[in-house]
Amino acid sequence: MATNEPIACTTCALPGGPCGGKGIATLKDGVWAQNPISIQILGICSALAVTNRLENSLVMGVALIFVCVGSNLFVSLLRNVTPRRIRMIAEVAIIATFVIVFDQILKAYYWEMSKQLGPYVGLIITNCIVMGRAEAFALQNRPVVSIVDGVANGIGYAIVLALIGFFRELVGAGTVFGHVVMPEWYVPNQLAILAPGAFVALGFLIALFNALSGANEEDEGTQP
Amino acid sequence: MNKKHSLYAVIYALLLGLVCAAMLTGVDRFTADRKAANAQAEEVRNVLGVLGVPFDAAARSAELLEVYEANVTTLTRGEREFYVYDHPEEGTLNATRFDGPGLWGPVEGFICLRDDMNTIYAITFYRHEETPGLGGDISTPGFQDQFRGKVISTPAGSGVAIVGDGADGPNEVDAISGATMTSDKVEAMLNETIDDILASGEGS
Repeated sequence: MATNEPIACTTCALPGGPCGGKGIATLKDGVWAQNPISIQILGICSALAVTNRLENSLVMGVALIFVCVGSNLFVSLLRNVTPRRIRMIAEVAIIATFVIVFDQILKAYYWEMSKQLGPYVGLIITNCIVMGRAEAFALQNRPVVSIVDGVANGIGYAIVLALIGFFRELVGAGTVFGHVVMPEWYVPNQLAILAPGAFVALGFLIALFNALSGANEEDEGTQP
Repeated sequence: MNKKHSLYAVIYALLLGLVCAAMLTGVDRFTADRKAANAQAEEVRNVLGVLGVPFDAAARSAELLEVYEANVTTLTRGEREFYVYDHPEEGTLNATRFDGPGLWGPVEGFICLRDDMNTIYAITFYRHEETPGLGGDISTPGFQDQFRGKVISTPAGSGVAIVGDGADGPNEVDAISGATMTSDKVEAMLNETIDDILASGEGS
């Protein structure tokens, strides 16, 4: 526990300026280059569980953006006064607070969606992305750039979820946002709605992202 | 105070906990009314559903409550509360709540009887934690619709039977394959309720 090294974002740890001159790089990293799902393969449990409909995916994405921004901001604001020994408990407390706040708002203003998402909103507390960003980024960075990081990672998560949700709803039910878009002869493929369909969709998406961004290519020589 | 001191950590945790608790309390206060309204609307939706009262599925809480108050009255027979609706085609319908232990958790639903207090108009299960795809199918129309037109008492005795094969009696329905435990427990809770309904009928 003695190490003070940032876990992932070594390039973003430089101070100076509201975003330390790293705002755009941070945004790009979260949304694309270091996308939490397609590149880092974090938080895929919820990405698989709630993506059977596009609408569910989007609400879940919004939830993660909200929680990531809130927790990153608080962790960053408190980073100089938080005792190292209890910092993780403090992070969990902050994250849990934001998750419950979002869950309560959903229950009050979007009851139907709250019923559909069931326990998965609450489970954002255990989502590795949120705590990962708090540990890896917010603890080393100023509040403003931490917010940028939270937004970026939330958007990165939301985009991937939306894509999977779009694909699964289209193939599995022939609809988009509940509106029928497929021609009448189309027989909905139930597999896409079930859990295996989520794995298949996520696999194709990660392959596509890797092909587009050329990520992991440089590793090929060193892989055992 | 030194950041490494234990007392510092304790005070820090205490303050952080207070701030978090204050935020949660605030949000809870702020959303309490709407959450209560949603819960009530959900309840009303369940009652309207089993009684076959027509309502707009996308209706808001207040509208649902209006539909409910315009159509449904409550009546207590014995210890049991009934929701009564004069259906334009089906006659007077009487719904009452039942609950009991399922395989994994509590099961709650409504049983709705026709005017003769013997023929089942509908049964719904609105809350359960049974295995999805097996016992969880109790909340599907396929299982619930079997009860329509069945009777809760025959000259041979009272109660419905959820049977493994050949459900052809006036009080028999098919069980769910692979969900024997759920089927048995649902049968038990229904029959307990039916005994109660019959007893309350005699008392009044």
